[in-house]
Amino acid sequence: MSTSVASKTRGSGRRGSSRRWAGSAYTRRNLLTGLLFISPWLVGFLLFTLYPMISSLYTSFTEYHIRAESDWVGLLNYRQMLADPRFWKALYNTTYMVVVAVPLTLLGSFLCAVLLNLKLRGQSVYRVIYFIPSIVPVVAGSILWVWIYNTNNGLLNTALGWFGIKGPSWLTDPAWAKPALILMGLWAMGTTIVIYLSGLQDVPVSLLEAAELDGASWLQRLWHVTIPMVSPITLFNLILGVIGMFQYFTQAFIFASAQSSTAVSGGRTLGAPLDSTLFYSVYLYHKAFINLKFGYASAMAWVLFIIILICTVLLLRFSERWTYYGEEG
Amino acid sequence: MSGKRLLSIGLMLALVLIVSACVAPAPAPAPAAPEAPAAPAAPETMRVWITWGDNPAQLQELFNRYGEANNVQIQVNAPVDDEKVIAALSGSNPPDILVLSGPDNVPAWVGEGLLTPLDDIIAANNIDVEDIYPAMLAQGRLHDTQWALPWGSDTYALYWNKDLFEEAGLDPEKPPQTLEELVEYADKLTKVEADGTITQIGFVPDFSWSHIEQYVPMFGGYWISEDGTKVQVDSQPVLDALLWEQQFYTKYGPEEVLRFVASTGDYASAEHGFMAGKVAMMVDGEWMVGPNFIGGLAPDLWYGVAPFPYPADHPERAHTNTVGGTVVVIPSGVANPEASGKLLAWMMSPEIVADEMVANFNLPSSRKAAEDPRFRENEMFAVFMDLAMDPNATSQVFTPASTEINDELALVEEQVLHAGADPAPLLKEAQAKLQPILDKALGK
Amino acid sequence: MVSAGTRVLKQRYRLRRLLGRVISYLLVWLMAFFFLFPILWMIFTAFKPTTDVSRFPLQLLPHDVKMVEVEGQLYPLYVVREPGKPPRTMARIKVAQGQATFVDPANPADVLETRNRYGEPVLTVKFEWHNFVDAMYRGSRPGLHVNFWTYLKNSSVIAILAIIGTLVSSTPAAYGFSRIQWPGREKLFLVLLATMMLPFQVTMIPLYLFFTEFLHWGDSNLPIVVPTFFGSAFDIFLLRQFFRGIPEEMLDAARVDGASEFRIFYNIVLPLSKPVLATITIFTFLWAWNDFLGPLLYLNNPEHFTLALGLQDYQGQRNVAWNQLMAASVVFTLPIVILFFFAQRTFIEGIKLTGTKG
Repeated sequence: MSTSVASKTRGSGRRGSSRRWAGSAYTRRNLLTGLLFISPWLVGFLLFTLYPMISSLYTSFTEYHIRAESDWVGLLNYRQMLADPRFWKALYNTTYMVVVAVPLTLLGSFLCAVLLNLKLRGQSVYRVIYFIPSIVPVVAGSILWVWIYNTNNGLLNTALGWFGIKGPSWLTDPAWAKPALILMGLWAMGTTIVIYLSGLQDVPVSLLEAAELDGASWLQRLWHVTIPMVSPITLFNLILGVIGMFQYFTQAFIFASAQSSTAVSGGRTLGAPLDSTLFYSVYLYHKAFINLKFGYASAMAWVLFIIILICTVLLLRFSERWTYYGEEG
Repeated sequence: MSGKRLLSIGLMLALVLIVSACVAPAPAPAPAAPEAPAAPAAPETMRVWITWGDNPAQLQELFNRYGEANNVQIQVNAPVDDEKVIAALSGSNPPDILVLSGPDNVPAWVGEGLLTPLDDIIAANNIDVEDIYPAMLAQGRLHDTQWALPWGSDTYALYWNKDLFEEAGLDPEKPPQTLEELVEYADKLTKVEADGTITQIGFVPDFSWSHIEQYVPMFGGYWISEDGTKVQVDSQPVLDALLWEQQFYTKYGPEEVLRFVASTGDYASAEHGFMAGKVAMMVDGEWMVGPNFIGGLAPDLWYGVAPFPYPADHPERAHTNTVGGTVVVIPSGVANPEASGKLLAWMMSPEIVADEMVANFNLPSSRKAAEDPRFRENEMFAVFMDLAMDPNATSQVFTPASTEINDELALVEEQVLHAGADPAPLLKEAQAKLQPILDKALGK
Repeated sequence: MVSAGTRVLKQRYRLRRLLGRVISYLLVWLMAFFFLFPILWMIFTAFKPTTDVSRFPLQLLPHDVKMVEVEGQLYPLYVVREPGKPPRTMARIKVAQGQATFVDPANPADVLETRNRYGEPVLTVKFEWHNFVDAMYRGSRPGLHVNFWTYLKNSSVIAILAIIGTLVSSTPAAYGFSRIQWPGREKLFLVLLATMMLPFQVTMIPLYLFFTEFLHWGDSNLPIVVPTFFGSAFDIFLLRQFFRGIPEEMLDAARVDGASEFRIFYNIVLPLSKPVLATITIFTFLWAWNDFLGPLLYLNNPEHFTLALGLQDYQGQRNVAWNQLMAASVVFTLPIVILFFFAQRTFIEGIKLTGTKG
């Protein structure tokens, strides 16, 4: 419905009609009305975004005390951060997830979407099945996977055992903890599959048929027609994925708190095992709300913001080479 | 399907949820209304938060006794997560009494002004500090002010599974006496399959509640100087303890040991490695004997408790153990410090200490309470009582940087045991990092 | 006439097509198994009796120890394997200090005293429905009368308030950003878009201090709910995209008739926007239902916990009853699944809208 309405207005020269009324009184009235309409957001922006941003930037240069005046310490928090091996570990772990998990999720979603787009019987059922895990609440899903990963008694290692494979100790082996989180992420990639699927359905059949007539194999059509056609989707979801993954928190938090209940450690579990799941946001949270180092944590937050900004700009800059926007773009 | 219908379905579903939630018999207050700041008069409800609490019902019953006698309602919240405690301390609505598993964080919180000094409260309520064991009392003292009072205490000993001993051809009534014997027994009690998979293990040094902290004193030292000003994590006893711990991992491969340990169940469940008969020996606290753990979860287990072994060449160190544990603090922002103080005084009375510690299987922190014959009824619990009274019993040292120091030590231990790292350079590194942190925390 | 060569080619082509289809089906099934099986496992575990949850080796279906009647009383049945003797199936009537007393259920006079460890329980399939009741009424904190109904209620309250807040604030804002011409509009909209890139960590600490220290809103749902009444950048963006598609002529006609902007917004634009409003309702519900960090930061007392926080709290304890935890997870997930099956298209359309409109 929305598209049909939109197509009616396309190119009907709206700008001209508003300029016709352009007059200072009218403009002022419009400005007031416009501001009135957006005022909820505007107030919210000032109160819940702009003020906290300035405040946290200031805090990042202080040693913060809850019940006393904070001390201005200049760049001390930033210098301490550079010298803190756990900061670097957290940054490494997070970057690992960004570099490995995000592309894997995109690739996996694309391939699943391709599968769901084949002319097979019962596709509508499979589409629902592929999608359902993504609406399982993150907390419930993470708890479920902790249970699945249980070393000797978990579903996964039991299943691997049927094939004679000795499954790793997913949650306590530093080499396997991040892959475990990634696998869980792949399980819940249903939304990206849906997005790709709709992209695949928008690929013009005429293009694919033309390629087939030219003798292109299925794989060639996929590579030369389909993938370029969905490249804008890939870019958009890549950027969203990168931004999101830099803030990875809940799943890691649940995995860590799962280990506090096991016998191995007396609750000292943040980032366990061996800091292999110490992600940036988790460490930041720990610094702020366990160690009460609000200044240090604020400095970490700003460094993260800058990293995300740089990554986004770089992705956009380099995307021009491989993104296809059709005639409209 | 029209948008209108979808919207109405969505709203209906939400409505159903709300109605179903309201019909439920849970008498919970509406979360939308934040609790009004309490009037200075005695509050009708007091909140006690406890960071352990394996049997919340028992704790609630205990505090109900105070509530009934003083016409207040006491809400016990246990167990509370550490991050929730800090949020509550720094927020505007802290609990009236906070019971912590240990005094580790107290110096740091004192520095941030999050706690109420207790000296006036102790004087006003005639709390008999003479009745409290001095070493435990000292743990809550900082800058000549009392910030925390002990409420029960803990120490650690060796648990052994008699069934597994007998099966391995060992005398089920003879636990290892020396560290060397422990190593030897542990090997006999470990079962490894042809592909390296461990199916039963004799001893895992960082299993359950046991960690480097429990071993260092047995190797003749401590990682902080007695006056709390010097970090000495790179001292010989720490190194020796780590090397001793490491051998249990290197023998069977850290990967296999970890895999095995990860397959054992939760701490307070019948699947716990020791209770399930998969781990033959472990170091754990006195509470393990009680009804919240082995007593209630694995009553059929055939096991014993003995002092942790000593090095064969240092018999004088026999019965060395570290005593320390639960402390009670009052947050600085409590609604009514007098009411909190009164409740604290009640908690500190010898009868209450005795009743609580007997019920929960913890060591008493009060001398009068310790005379209660109920502490001697269980012979395995009595082992812990004797250990705590032993001349070789020491107490932990706390500093404003305790959290950082303990975190770092735990990390080194993890790297040495689980990743096979060489402890000496790691300890050097930790020493270089920690001493400045401690100096800064001490205001040097 | 078709030559033999073409026939072979055609056959080969058919064979390849067939092979392709077989592989396609196998792959589709394999992935379906990957997506579906964990959920089935969650449901199966939710039905397991407590003693069965950690049983090794693992079994798919819930099992319980078989009970047998001996002289009017029920006792667990064991297979007793004494070393060097044939195994016997007997009831265990007593155990202490590692010693157990087994009897033959058919002949209670036949008593065997031996080590308890030689006995292995006999199992039988049993679905424990009661886990769901136990999970919902589980009182882990007896003094507080808190259980999963409390959490469910708290989550519902937050979700409904968040939906109301988002709708009443984001809709007019989106209208102001799309259908009213005013200087600086596009620049401000760019600011709005930019805020979507801001990581929550940057504002987390000042907001936390602002809400708890300054406004004294700690331990209530206000810090979670109130910001939703001030517009969400993402929803404003979605709504704006939709509003821009409404023909200007409809609005101009109303303007000529002297209708105020609010009337136009309320009487013309909103009724046309039901699909996108439905999308936003569902997505706000999902967000509120899922949100973990907000409750983690602001809700301290268990009587205020949401389901997400309550589940984590439960799981973080030292004695996790996995069967009940899974039962609670099923209950936690169920409303969303029901919502999905009722409003499948809105879900899918919404996701397409959010995922492709760069």
